[in-house]
Amino acid sequence: MILTELRLHNFRNYQDLTVHFAPGINVLIGRNAQGKTNMLEAIYALSLTRSHRTSNDRELINWQQQSASISGVVQKATGKVPLELQFTKNGKKAKVNHLEQARLGQYVGQLNTILFAPEDLSLVKGAPAVRRRFMDMEFSQMSSKYLYDASQFRTLLRQRNKYLKQLKYGQQHDRVLLTVLSDQLAAYGAEVIVARHHFLQHLEKWAADLHYQISLNQEHLHLAYVTQVKVGDETTVDQAYHELLKLYQDNQGREIDQGTTMYGPQRDDIRFMVNDKNIQAFGSQGQQRTTALSVKLAEIDLMKEQTGEYPLLLLDDVLSELDPVRQTHLLTAIQDKVQTFLTTTSLSDVARQLIKKPTIFEIKHGTLNKEEA
Amino acid sequence: MQYPEPLAKLIESYTKLPGIGQKTATRLAFYTLGMEEDDVTNFAKSLLSAKRDLHSCSICGNITEDDPCPICRDKTRDRSKILVVEQSQDIMAMERMHEYHGLYHVLQGVISPVAGTGPEDINITSLLKRLQKSDDVKEVIIATNASSDGELTAGYLAKLIKPAGIKVTRLAHGLSVGADIDYADEMTLFKAVQGRTEM
Ligand SMILES: Nc1ncnc2c1ncn2[C@@H]1O[C@H](COP(=O)(O)OP(=O)(O)OP(=O)(O)O)[C@@H](O)[C@H]1O
Ligand SMILES: [Mg+2]
Ligand SMILES: [Zn+2]
Repeated sequence: MILTELRLHNFRNYQDLTVHFAPGINVLIGRNAQGKTNMLEAIYALSLTRSHRTSNDRELINWQQQSASISGVVQKATGKVPLELQFTKNGKKAKVNHLEQARLGQYVGQLNTILFAPEDLSLVKGAPAVRRRFMDMEFSQMSSKYLYDASQFRTLLRQRNKYLKQLKYGQQHDRVLLTVLSDQLAAYGAEVIVARHHFLQHLEKWAADLHYQISLNQEHLHLAYVTQVKVGDETTVDQAYHELLKLYQDNQGREIDQGTTMYGPQRDDIRFMVNDKNIQAFGSQGQQRTTALSVKLAEIDLMKEQTGEYPLLLLDDVLSELDPVRQTHLLTAIQDKVQTFLTTTSLSDVARQLIKKPTIFEIKHGTLNKEEA
Repeated sequence: MQYPEPLAKLIESYTKLPGIGQKTATRLAFYTLGMEEDDVTNFAKSLLSAKRDLHSCSICGNITEDDPCPICRDKTRDRSKILVVEQSQDIMAMERMHEYHGLYHVLQGVISPVAGTGPEDINITSLLKRLQKSDDVKEVIIATNASSDGELTAGYLAKLIKPAGIKVTRLAHGLSVGADIDYADEMTLFKAVQGRTEM
């Protein structure tokens, strides 16, 4: 899919802006603090209704204003889709084809994006929560069922955790409600676990290939899904449900003592193994960077496989972080197939040579100028 | 500058309504000042009488002038079925459909630990007592919303009622996920009643 047109109104440091993007690689060049990341953030938000760097939507509205909007036109194989997001201090509205969507599930999935920024190294190095968030954001774009199950799971988890605390402190006593909460949580938890296993298997297939190439045929990457439930290719949702439910039944007393839910996908993790070594603990900086890059690039193909269309790729300041070999791999992997938005303070020689026909925009103080070729 | 006291009090009263903030309340208050005296008098009377003359039905929890409510008193209704809803408004939606002829029970809320609402904070005990008292009831139809709280409440009720050997069904089909039954159109509700599933 291709974002042909983007309009910003009072978004961050952009007042009123309309741009037409090229299908290939769009380079956004500018000095620090001019609005490069803000532009990628706008595209990302148009895709997922939320920013990648803040959970507070108000920060997206220009400081002098009360409301902001992002709109765009997405060209897909099936036709053009206009999308619009409006942010006010009281909330946001999402429109597809000029019609307001009541539920997130009806909006997310219209425009798919993959963002890669220097902080994505934390995908390998960071806490497990980073990797769970990664799974939720990416898999939700591929499957609205996953988005639904994961958000139902989160809602029920909050309810159950609260109830466990209320039981612990004697504010509530009814164990029947706890069994109902356990039962419903296990049902959605099982859906999430089986889906994560399935998606990670597919992701690994693509990532291992890329990693092998980027490491010049030296390294074999394996993504191990770490979860408390035994899950394999043959595991049904029903089996996972019964196993999770049994964990809740067997540990009811302990969970009440702790006042929190100790079992389920909220404790999941991904372990990145390179040549059978855990790269998080034993990998070099370069190996960790290659792993993060392989996984991100693999998502492009996975999304194509699952949805039938390539997503947009947003690359924030990453070229400068990569050595020439990796830059080459990155650019050849995306060239001619993925619409890309790449920010940089200056375009390296490698990149200049590799990118066939870049469309270059210069960003200065929230304005954009197309560089004539 | 401050608003004169009667106006300030009116604004404050409006802010007590759900979904109304300071700004809207001020607009409504100024609008009220411009209304005909008769209309304002009627408005004030309706507010008071709604509060004073209406009670919850001691049997089903529905809002009513007389206790028990007309539906509970109606001898022609099918006493083998009780349809459980979250609010009195949901009964209105069901009645408009003219397809359901059984009895009702209004929970006046849903279970939500996060919101601090436990099972004993809504009308569940009275439902269980009703079931114990009479052998007539053969089926309890749970029509709480398809929201996560609605599902939790439905699961809880099923768990309590089923062991008594009473059939428990759930209105499921047709109601979109997260939808308020109050706003569902009549055809969807009809389909929902037809396609109820046993829990
Ligand atoms: N809500 C807002 N309203 C107005 N301006 C904002 C808002 N939020 C951020 N800015 C401004 O946007 C600028 C930052 O833009 P951005 O993060 O896109 O920079 P950048 O071009 O990516 O820079 P770098 O190269 O350092 O990453 C800052 O000057 C900041 O003051
Ligand atoms: Mg930046
Ligand atoms: Zn009644």
